[in-house]
Amino acid sequence: MLKYAIRRILYMFPILLGITLVTFLLFNVAGGDPAVQMAGKYATEAEIEAIRKDLGTSGPLYVQFGNYIKQIVTFDFGRSWATKQEVTRMIFGEEFRTSPMLVSVSLTFPAFFITLVLAISIGLLLTFYRGGVLDKSIMVVCLGAISISSLVYILFLQYYLGYKLGLFPISGISYDWVDKWNYLALPIIIFVALSLGSNVLFFRTIFLDEVFQDYVRTARAKGLSNKVVMFRHVLRNALIPIITLVVIQIPFLITGTLLIESFFSLPGLGGLIYNAINNADFPVIKAMTFISAVLYMFFQLLSDILYAVVDPKVQLK
Amino acid sequence: MGCIKQIITSLTIGLLSISMFTACTSDKKKFENSISIAYGSDVKALDPVFAEDYYASQVSSQIFETLYEYHYLKRPLVVQPLLAESMPKISEDGLTYTIKLKKGIFFQDNEAFKEGKGRELTAEDFIYSWKRLLDPANKSQGTWVFDGKVKGVSDWREKMRKGLADYDTPIEGLQATDKNTIQIKLEKPYHQLIYVLAMTYTAPTAKEVVDKYGEEIINHPVGTGPFILKDWIKSNKIVLVKNPNFRDMTYPTEKDEEDPESMLKDAGKKIPFVDKLVFNIITEDQTRWLNFMKGNLDILSIPKDNFDSSIANDQIVTDLADKGLELHVNTEPDLTYIAMNMKDPILGKNKKLRQAITLAYNTDAALKKFYNDRGIVAQSIIPPTIDGYDPSFKNPYKDFDVEKAKKLMVEAGYPNGKGLPEFEFATTSSSTAVQMAEFFKDQMSQIGINIKIVPNSWPQFTQKIHDAKAQIWGIAWVSDYPDAENFLQLLYGENVSPGPNGSNFVNAEYDKLYKQALLLPSGEKRTKLYHKMRDIASEELPMIPMIHRQGYYLTHGWIENFKRHITISDNFKYIRVNMDKKKKLKPEL
Repeated sequence: MLKYAIRRILYMFPILLGITLVTFLLFNVAGGDPAVQMAGKYATEAEIEAIRKDLGTSGPLYVQFGNYIKQIVTFDFGRSWATKQEVTRMIFGEEFRTSPMLVSVSLTFPAFFITLVLAISIGLLLTFYRGGVLDKSIMVVCLGAISISSLVYILFLQYYLGYKLGLFPISGISYDWVDKWNYLALPIIIFVALSLGSNVLFFRTIFLDEVFQDYVRTARAKGLSNKVVMFRHVLRNALIPIITLVVIQIPFLITGTLLIESFFSLPGLGGLIYNAINNADFPVIKAMTFISAVLYMFFQLLSDILYAVVDPKVQLK
Repeated sequence: MGCIKQIITSLTIGLLSISMFTACTSDKKKFENSISIAYGSDVKALDPVFAEDYYASQVSSQIFETLYEYHYLKRPLVVQPLLAESMPKISEDGLTYTIKLKKGIFFQDNEAFKEGKGRELTAEDFIYSWKRLLDPANKSQGTWVFDGKVKGVSDWREKMRKGLADYDTPIEGLQATDKNTIQIKLEKPYHQLIYVLAMTYTAPTAKEVVDKYGEEIINHPVGTGPFILKDWIKSNKIVLVKNPNFRDMTYPTEKDEEDPESMLKDAGKKIPFVDKLVFNIITEDQTRWLNFMKGNLDILSIPKDNFDSSIANDQIVTDLADKGLELHVNTEPDLTYIAMNMKDPILGKNKKLRQAITLAYNTDAALKKFYNDRGIVAQSIIPPTIDGYDPSFKNPYKDFDVEKAKKLMVEAGYPNGKGLPEFEFATTSSSTAVQMAEFFKDQMSQIGINIKIVPNSWPQFTQKIHDAKAQIWGIAWVSDYPDAENFLQLLYGENVSPGPNGSNFVNAEYDKLYKQALLLPSGEKRTKLYHKMRDIASEELPMIPMIHRQGYYLTHGWIENFKRHITISDNFKYIRVNMDKKKKLKPEL
């Protein structure tokens, strides 16, 4: 397994190179000239050219790309073109407590965990009572929930739970470790509400696939109770798709959720990425592309390794 | 089943109890003597050198001060000394300004100073700070305030670029003649100098602070102003607190005729009145609105979607008035306009075509559709509240008249648009900008002109204008200072792309008048020249003047002395929070 992991890690390098190259080319085709932005309305052509030189955007493309690679290796992406702040600090914060990455993760991780626990439990329940009234009605509710735009949840719940009933703050964040959850509670509820429907349907399908397998029939024939069959056998065998879903989601959870962050004024990575793209802030885009790519590949590898852990039939070669 | 129920119940109880617990603890914060407002986008650097946008400039100007400022209440705007002892002494030829500093002005306390105590401000601090502003390495967008206008500045900048000068190299036109005296020598008369000396760009920073923090100076603003930076969490909020060592400065004793008497209730009293200012970054309209309605924000520009439910017949609706809210309306000295590129072989060469386009555009409808009628139809390039504005002026092409436009299309040689290629309308990709472009397209279809809408990211959009590659586009200009010159320069021949004259309009007569006007001080003679330039622009129409926007602001009943003008950014020191009213009104929200 170690050999496998090392080989996969080595594969990451050419993939990363490809991603950085594509990002670089895309930016150069569609990004606009940052020097023009920075120079302002009254700058002369000579001043703009001086800024280009300073930013390193006036040289040949291969030199610029070389600089990008150097930034990745040294993990020093310089300063943002839009905010003039240091890029790594924009992502990881002045201190850990106020890090945008921590804000995003504090929202998405608990929300995702709650969604997962609820969705798996409801999924098992529906499988248990498949075809019955409960199954059908929850299916309808889930389908309905998926069909409603996420904006409706946000606008409605923020208005009623935050403003009208005053149960939660309308928006904002606190960096106090306890007070923080007061601000995150409503965004977490909305996140769960937004993702629960599709997850329940997903797990129901996975579990239904399993309950018709021979091993389930055997287990029942042995006289095991339904509870034991569901929790000890079905759930364990359904772990592979569960791991796939969970592990692949993690990088996206780390990079935040733009819409919820934006409506609740949570200074997370979702907004950071959005602003960087809007302002053609290439240093931030470069850093975030690199971080996302590494995260994605790492968790992909992790999920492959976990397959082998949970399923002895899977062998990593 | 029981297990699931348990999980759901404990989660809900958990979330709610955290919420209740912390709601109680945050109750203490409810009645602070503070002002909380919201910005729609993030604040960048807090450094006068980078006071490029409204937000950065407004926050900075609570911390930093300039030589001059605008009287808080008088309209039209009146310049008055702030760090300067008096108005500048100007030589007879108008080329030398001598400015004396007030004595006993101290920088805010900071570790950068000896024993952490802020030292006294000197004339040298201004010269140093202005060199920082002009230093090409700092890439400030505010160099225009002195460059090309003050003696020796362009030369010094050129030498700095080549590494032949440093901060010890003197600039002829920017000198500290003694500890408290600044002398500015101009290349030619520059009557707008007094205004730029009131802009945040020209506020002083201490060299010790810059030396201590280096590039991080953008996060460590230390000025002489009434508020000190306490906390800044990027993309979240900026908290400023009252500067305990702020000198004795008092609330104005004179007001504008239109102001109610209550605006002078605090006349002569020491400012600032509040202990704390909080600038929250809230990008969504609904979030801003709900926070305001809950009393978490004290002042708010009414979001577009909440306008109809809060304002009727230009008055605040009863429900909101009952909650103690007050409405403040002010016309902004700005201009939204549709520019046409005069370098375009068809648009640029055919005046009748541009006139027809202007006549076929229904600005009134646009004002209602996109601005909730919050604004006035612009007749010319010069906005209200600015020296040179004439409310009686009527632009002959600004009356929406499709029939007349069609006749002009015939005279232009393109009857019903026949023979005209499709024009590209460049826009940013925001939904409102695209809707505005769609509206323009619809209007033009009435006279047979085909428009293709090309959405761009903001950088691509500005790049197109900079490279003179855009054909038609919509944009706005907000005044830097209260002089029509700030708008008329948008059509001055020497300012063509990449300069602010994105229309690339070049007209010998207009340029001649502009140059003449630059040499004149404010007065009837100069206003006449401004009007002649306005008339040329109104006939040639390289841009369609659209709207002068109006600000509709709501304040809670506990906010007193609120008066707004976009050019006055250091206004928070004058605002008072009536704590008795706050304690009474806020719990009812």
